[in-house]
Amino acid sequence: MAKKFSGLQKEALTLYRKCLRSVYEKPVENRQNWFSYIHSEFNKYRKVSRRDFATIEHLLRLGNRRYEMYKNPSIKNVH
Amino acid sequence: MKLLTFTRSLATQAAKLPNIKTFKIYRWNPDTPEIKPTMKSYQLDLNQTGPMVLDALLKIKNEQDPTLTLRRSCREGICGSCAMNIGGRNTLACLCKIDTDSKKDLKIYPLPHMYIVRDLVPDLTHFYKQYKSIKPYLQIDESKLPERENIQSVEDRAKLDGLYECILCACCSTSCPSYWWNQQEYLGPAVLMQAYRWMIDSRDTATNLRKEMLQNSMSLYRCHTIMNCSKTCPKGLNPGGAIAEIKKSMAFD
Amino acid sequence: MFAPGIRSTKSLTSSINISIAKRGLFKTIPQPPGNIIGTVNDAYVPPPSNKLHGSAHWTFERFVTIGMAPLIISPFITGTAPLDSAMAGLLLYHCYAGFQSCIIDYIPKRVYGSLHTAAMLLLTFGTFVAGYGVYKIENEEKDGVFGLLKKLWVN
Repeated sequence: MAKKFSGLQKEALTLYRKCLRSVYEKPVENRQNWFSYIHSEFNKYRKVSRRDFATIEHLLRLGNRRYEMYKNPSIKNVH
Repeated sequence: MKLLTFTRSLATQAAKLPNIKTFKIYRWNPDTPEIKPTMKSYQLDLNQTGPMVLDALLKIKNEQDPTLTLRRSCREGICGSCAMNIGGRNTLACLCKIDTDSKKDLKIYPLPHMYIVRDLVPDLTHFYKQYKSIKPYLQIDESKLPERENIQSVEDRAKLDGLYECILCACCSTSCPSYWWNQQEYLGPAVLMQAYRWMIDSRDTATNLRKEMLQNSMSLYRCHTIMNCSKTCPKGLNPGGAIAEIKKSMAFD
Repeated sequence: MFAPGIRSTKSLTSSINISIAKRGLFKTIPQPPGNIIGTVNDAYVPPPSNKLHGSAHWTFERFVTIGMAPLIISPFITGTAPLDSAMAGLLLYHCYAGFQSCIIDYIPKRVYGSLHTAAMLLLTFGTFVAGYGVYKIENEEKDGVFGLLKKLWVN
């Protein structure tokens, strides 16, 4: 059976993909930093329950806003 | 003599029984989002605390729990930073007296229906974006620019009384049910009152543009004259009245 | 069965997966984070201006309300309702406008999308049905809507 995702799970995955894709707009030498940063940020909340909607919604809001911020081309590197 | 009064004052202070009141404060930490918001209780002796809620909050922050987070600045009701929901009413902590009845708990929440940054700090970004959208500055046609000062008669200036005093604390907007349900599109009482303030300014020539902006079902007409805004305003202003004035002036446009 | 917030065990995931997929009865449109569209420094953009939904609508609503007041009171004084159909019509519009406001407030287009339109259509349909009812009453009853109400009291 194909795995069915809830709307919230889909949103989280969309954000994750958006983040990873935007890394390719950063300079080559810093991309590894960006990847590890994104992985670590998403891994932090791995343990959050799937039914903890309020928390996930908050994290999505936070993530989206941070994504908008880091997308700015003047930001080149992250540590 | 001086020493005597000093010892006497000490004696009276010691004789006073401590008046312990419980403060229940909304706590939520963004670093641990999986932990749900909780109400944390703090005990304070009212004889040792200042008269206002802000004094109590700062005393708690200084002496009991430095992690308690709140915005404050002027401590005299002119900056609008310490707007919060105290005992079920949106008001400024610095203008709200503590009820000295120690039997009752005092509950303190952040402004209702706003995204919370931490503890008592709401996210007012959208509120400020809305304020920006009404262009809160003088707009004058180049041709009508005066040679020297931009003069306003005493009567015209008097029209701005009760409007310009608004400090944008967002108490009124966040007390408005219409703003709770539709804050993304409805401008809310605070912003609409400022819109009115610029509409009736005798020096401003963009009145029609300002009215044009409100000509839709959401921005202005979600106001159903609930009047929570005027009831809650810590500065005693009347945003509900200002909105009614806008509606009246736009009726036959 | 499960306390909220507790992660389900592995063997149960597949059965729970579908049950948690739905939240709320209706599908809603996801909103921008923190209601913020664009950067934090951009001003909020109001919906396009349309007088029919703005001041004209409001003014018409007020006129109807003010016009209704004497029409509603007059039958109590005269005993009959000469302008009964006018009163019924205005009352119908008044109800329509009130429910329309409720729909805009609680089923906003930005969140519910086509459900908002559906609710509006349902309301319009209901109003027409009620309008037909009013037409029938006006034609078949002696004293129209007012007479019908009076009957409720008398009998």
